[in-house]
Order: sequence, then C-alpha cells, then structure tokens
Amino acid sequence: MLDWIKNINKEYPEFWKDYLTKLEAKPNKYVVLSTETSGLNPNKDVILSLGAFSVIDDSVVIKENFEAVLLQYKFLEEHGISNEFIIESKMNKMPEAEALEAFINFIGNAVLVGHHINFDIEMLNAALERLDCGRLKNEALDIDVMYRKLTDINDKQFSLNDLCEIYKIPKSDRNSSAEDAYKIGLLFLKLKSRLGIR
Amino acid sequence: MNTIAEHIADFLKEYPPFDNLTFQELSDIATNIRAINLEKHAVLFQNNDPLHDSFYVVASGVINLTTIADAEETIINKCHEGDIFGLRPFFAKNNYMMTAKAREESIVYAIPIAVFRPFVANNSDVLNFLLESFAINSRHTRDNARSNGKLDPDSNFMDQQNEMQYIQSLSYNNSPLTTESHHIVKDVAILMTESMVDNIVICEKNNPIGIVTHADLSSKIATGRYPITETIDKIMSSPVVTVIENVSLAEAQLLMLKHNVSHLCVTKDGTSKSAVKGIISEHDLIVAQASNPGVLIKEIKRSQLPKDLKQIRDRLSDLIQNSIQKNIPISHVSNIASEINLAIIKRAVELSILDLGSPPARFAWLSIGSQGRKEQLLLTDQDSILIFEDVAPEKYREVKDYFLRLAKRTTAILEKVGYEYCPNGHMGSNMLWCKSLSDWTKQYNSWMNTPGENSNDLSSIFFDYEIVIGEAKIEEVIENVVFKNAVNNTLFFDFLGNDALKRNSPLSFFKKFIVEEEGPQKGKFDIKTRALMPLIDSARLLILNANIKGIKNTYLRFKQLAITDSKNAEIYLSCAEAFLTLSKFRTVEGLKNDDSGQYINLREMSKTDKEKLKNALTPMKDLEELIKSKFQLTQFS
Repeated sequence: MLDWIKNINKEYPEFWKDYLTKLEAKPNKYVVLSTETSGLNPNKDVILSLGAFSVIDDSVVIKENFEAVLLQYKFLEEHGISNEFIIESKMNKMPEAEALEAFINFIGNAVLVGHHINFDIEMLNAALERLDCGRLKNEALDIDVMYRKLTDINDKQFSLNDLCEIYKIPKSDRNSSAEDAYKIGLLFLKLKSRLGIR
Repeated sequence: MNTIAEHIADFLKEYPPFDNLTFQELSDIATNIRAINLEKHAVLFQNNDPLHDSFYVVASGVINLTTIADAEETIINKCHEGDIFGLRPFFAKNNYMMTAKAREESIVYAIPIAVFRPFVANNSDVLNFLLESFAINSRHTRDNARSNGKLDPDSNFMDQQNEMQYIQSLSYNNSPLTTESHHIVKDVAILMTESMVDNIVICEKNNPIGIVTHADLSSKIATGRYPITETIDKIMSSPVVTVIENVSLAEAQLLMLKHNVSHLCVTKDGTSKSAVKGIISEHDLIVAQASNPGVLIKEIKRSQLPKDLKQIRDRLSDLIQNSIQKNIPISHVSNIASEINLAIIKRAVELSILDLGSPPARFAWLSIGSQGRKEQLLLTDQDSILIFEDVAPEKYREVKDYFLRLAKRTTAILEKVGYEYCPNGHMGSNMLWCKSLSDWTKQYNSWMNTPGENSNDLSSIFFDYEIVIGEAKIEEVIENVVFKNAVNNTLFFDFLGNDALKRNSPLSFFKKFIVEEEGPQKGKFDIKTRALMPLIDSARLLILNANIKGIKNTYLRFKQLAITDSKNAEIYLSCAEAFLTLSKFRTVEGLKNDDSGQYINLREMSKTDKEKLKNALTPMKDLEELIKSKFQLTQFS
C-alpha cells in the first residue's frame, strides 16, 4: 500500500527519464499497438511479440513501425515450451529489456490505440516494472469501446475479428502482432472519422 | 524487418505497373507507403487542388475520378482494387485537373512520388504504363465533357464528328525550309521555288523570328516596294505565330483565324524562343479535314462507281483505327462507322436504281444483323432483306423480278466495295428474302408463333433491322408485327432464350480461355461466338420481352434495360460495359489482321489485356442466370 513511497526517490533508467520529459509536450500522433502474450495474467504471463504503427494525418504510416519478437528464454524454459520457431524465424528478435526500451522510445508521448488496450497496457506495465520503470502514462483509446460508443451498444464486447468483419477489412492468413496492429490501425481510421475525432 | 510492408508488396506485385518490379524493390516502396481510409463520398483531392507528394493505389473499395463540366459532374474513370490514379505529379506541375472521390468506403495506399520516381526512370515498362494510365484518365475527360447531356440523336452524330475533329491530330511539314536574316530576297525566292514550297522560316540560332510566304513576296517585292537585292528580314512577317507539337486540328484552325495568318510555326515548347520543328499551312488543315466523317459521307453521296465507294470504305478503316488508338469511346466510333456504312449501302442501292430505272413499286431495303444493330466496325459480310409493297397479282412476277435484279446488282456492288456475300444467303438478292409486305408479315408470324416448326433456320439476325433506303412505313409495319407477336409469346422467348444460351461458354471451369481445338484457327479464342453473340442475343431477347421499340444497338439496349428493370440494373450496366470492351478487342484484332476479328490470338496479347478480356466475360454468368430465371427454358432444351 505504501509502495509509492518506496519509489519516490528511486533512480529510473535513462530511457524512462527521456520518456517522462517527452510526456510534457502535447501528443501529435497516434500509435496503434498490439501485443501477443503467453496468457492473460499480467503477473505470470509475458509478452511474446510487439507490433505497432504510427497514425499521422489520418493515415497509417507503414515506415514508422515497431516490430519485435521478444526472447523470453526464461519463461519458455520454465513452462517447457519450445522456442525453436522463434529462433528460426527471420523476425527482429530482442530480449525483453531491450525491446521495451526501444518500444518506449518509439511511442514517446503518442496517444496509444489498441483493441482491449487496457490489457496490453497492463502487460507492458508489468514488464516495465521488472525494469524498474514506472507505469505508462500515455492517453489510450480502445477501438472496441469506440465502436460501442458509436453504435450505442453496451452489453457486448467485440473481438478484433468481429470488427474486421463489420468494416470489411480484408482478412489475411498470416497472424502476427504487426498484422493485428495494422488492422487496428485501419479500424481506428474508420472509427475516428465516424466519431469525428481530430 | 517490416512484415506489413511485405504484405503490401505482395498485394502490389499482382498489378501493373508494379508487376515489372522485383519483390525487394516493392518491399522498399511499400515501406514508404501510407494507408489512408476514405469514408463513402470522402474527397481525396479535387479539381484545382495543389498536387500531393504521392500517387495512389486502391487497396480496397472504389474511387471515382470526376471532372466538372458545365456545372455537371462527369465520371472519367472508376478505379477498383489495384488501379492507380493521381499520376499528375509525375508529368505536370500545375494543379489537379480532376476530383478523386470514394464511391464506397475505401482504403488507398499513398506512394510517395520521390520514392517511386527512380523506378520509373530505370524501367521503361513502368513509365509506359504510367503514361498510358495518365493519358486514359485525362483524355476521357475531354470526350465525356464534350458529349454529356447530348440526348438528341441527330445532333449527337454531329457532335461526335466535332469531337473527332477536336482531337484529330494534324500531319504537317516537319522539315520546313529555314534561312537566316542576312540572306538576299532573290536567293531565298530561288530556294523556295526549287523546293516547291510557299513559305520559309527566318531563324536566328534555330529560333524562329519571322516567316516569308508568297503573300509577302507578292505584296512587298512584286509591287516594287523593296528591291530583290534587299535582305530577307526587311520583308518577313514578324513575329511568327508559334504552336506546340501535337496541336489539334481545331486548335490550329482557331489560331489561324485569331491571328489572321495562313501558316503556323511549330516549335519545341510552343514559344518563339525554341527550335523550329515544323510548319502548318492552311493546306494541311484541308487535308486533315478530308478524312473527317462528314466529308466521307458527302463523298459517298457523290460517288458513281463501286471503286470510289471502296476507296472511301478503306479510309473509314483508317479513321476507325486512328480513333481507337486515340481512345475515343468505342460506342461513338461505331456510331460514326455505321452512319458511313449506311451511306455506302444506300449509295449502292441508288447506283443500282440508276442503272435499272425507277422501281415499279414502293419498297424498303433493310439491313439486318450487325449493320441493323449499328455495330459494324469492320468489313463483315452483308446481310439484308428487301420488302416491296403489295401489288396486283398479275403484276407480281414483274415487280418481284425487278427487285431481285435490283438486289443482285446492289449486293454485287457491295461485294466490290469489300463486303463479302453472306455465306447463309441472308441477302435481298435471295428469292426467299425479297418478298412483298404481306409475305413478310406471314413470314414473321410463322417465325414467332411456331418457332422451331418447319423453320429451323430461324436466324435471330432477322430481328435486328434498320431501314437503309425506301419507305419508312414498311419498316414500321414489320416492327408492329414483331412486337404484336412478342406479347406473352412464351414459346418464342423460350426459343430465343435457348438460342442465346446454347453458345459455348468462353471460360473453362478453371477460368482459362476455351480456344479452338482444331481447324485453321486452332489455339485462338472465338470472341464472336463465345463472347459477343451471347450478349447480343440476350440483349435482343430481353428488349423484345420488355416490349421496347426502336432501340437497336446492343449497348443501348442494355442501358435501356437497366432503366426499365432497375432491380437488375447492375448486371445490365456491367454487360453494356463488357460489350464495349469486347467489341474493342474484336475491332483491334480485326484491324490488325484485316479480317472480321472473329478469332483472337491470345498468345499475342499482353497479360493486362488478357485480364481485361477475362473481366469482360464475367458479367455473362449473371446474365445467363437472369435469363434462366426470367424465362423457363424448357420447351426446347
């Protein structure tokens, strides 16, 4: 309960200090993100991969992307999961600490957008805590919430697939967090213009 | 590593011009793309907007490109998935000349010009494709802008004529005589005489500063105002009126009138500060006008011999070829071509009458089949029927004899012009198809009320007819007979329906073209029977069924059907488009091989053309279903 007192004089890593100074400015872009995790418990499970794109001026900027597979050797070993596939793939691979540092640098003060983003943020926060950082402070938007607000539906949640179906986003056979982030990006653009968010 | 960029590269490589690039190049391009979402009716850029730094590819949805002409929005082009648009920044510096608007919710990829330009520079295929697309997207503008809202069919023909003239390009002398200002008038005059030209351009470092024509020589030298030893710059007309290359006939005419000159000087950039490229004289304008459709028709009316008609028909082929190359909509071209064909046939009948003396009874000469539908672009065979009014029984023999001789003569003339005899004998010169009005009425009655019975040779081409010469009333009578018999005549429609659907399908189960398996045309695609005829037959069937009179053209029939039967409008409209595309393919092939274009050599076609052809075949499936559900095709199947 008095945890915050412990942190009050704690020395943060450099990148986190940078992040905190960036937050002082007004956000000028959105970052859509998606995480792939080993499960649903922020305390026990870990992030396996991260995908993110910038959204500037009502368009998804393909160049400004962040894509990484996190090497969770320790976790995978404890759970007896093979990591062969990850090692073999030609994706960008980074250890968790490095990946998070790069990711924090990438998002800066942008408004975060995701599908059920609270969970993504919880997962990120848990990982950040392991690096002696604070919690994410960016504004965040959830496309499911945006959709429900638009249609005035309160008693139901919509999966990413449902939303893609509704807005006829072409499905792809490939499945990765980058792919999801891209879809979320397109959905976000559609919802954004419908809700009249600048 | 950017997986989405690779997905986009995967998408792009399916479409031209990107299919000319390697996957690695595409990935690099895709990395720099922005994906933009456009809500329905959202405007991406509009007329007179400053240029964007990107051009666009449709990822999903449909984008309409439109221009505003006479306060009316006209669609130039619809861009579907994989189409590129907004190419102006590649080729021009001024603002957009069109509006790009989402017809439905769409996603487009914006590809930065700066990123793509190196690939254009290094790859001529890519450049050519972009130029072509740019030309198509912008040239339609002019055509459509000039033809919208023209409903009156008569004035329409005139307009099309003007339109042709407007874009008709000029051929002119592109190695003009030039000299410099210090030369002596006499020497220059000798040079002009030797070269047998009436003008000479005076240049300074290749740039035109003036021109001397016969008019200058007669007004300034022959009058004695200047001696012939004077230097040429004293008598030249200056400055000279300059134009850019590729100037159109209409523009050249305007400029000459405006400046009251007889010669225009063509320079590299259209100003007098660049190198001389050629000279356009009034005579060039006259020559250019000679192959204009109006002039052709006048010449037809004056010709006395089949030989003259043949020469005019040859010029029509050139005209068609030029128009197709210039991307004039095929529906306009075929209208003009059929007007000219009509005039030729009419003249052929007139020439025969001149030979045989005036006819003993009133008659009508009807073109049937493709000419009856006004769709004849190429030299195909002649189909016609002759109907004469009923005469007293004792005179019948004599009258029929006259008309048979008339028809024989006419078809012989037409044969000399280049229209082959109909292999099935569907011509007025055949005893069977040269009959009195009451015989024809009986004939149509029996065809329509007892189809299949003792008249298995019912050729549906008899239901497309147009009067060439003679009594319009006779055509009206036949038309009434046809439509009266058509009402609720299920048997007849079943017959026509089966006729329309019995043709072999153009594509195999695996979406491959079905080609001729044997014979001289082995390996070629029979576009006439497999693609065009089903559309033509279906349109005729549906229009007869809908009891719509007076619309004879397949394209217009589909358009009309879309209005009358609005719930299937989409199918009809896509069939109308498909029909035009297919006709164009046939015409291009026919012009290439100098035949009727029935068989298309697929091996010589580019991949994009094959795709276009395949796309044009897709609406047929829907049409077939529609006909099957509309008419219970049981009696004859």
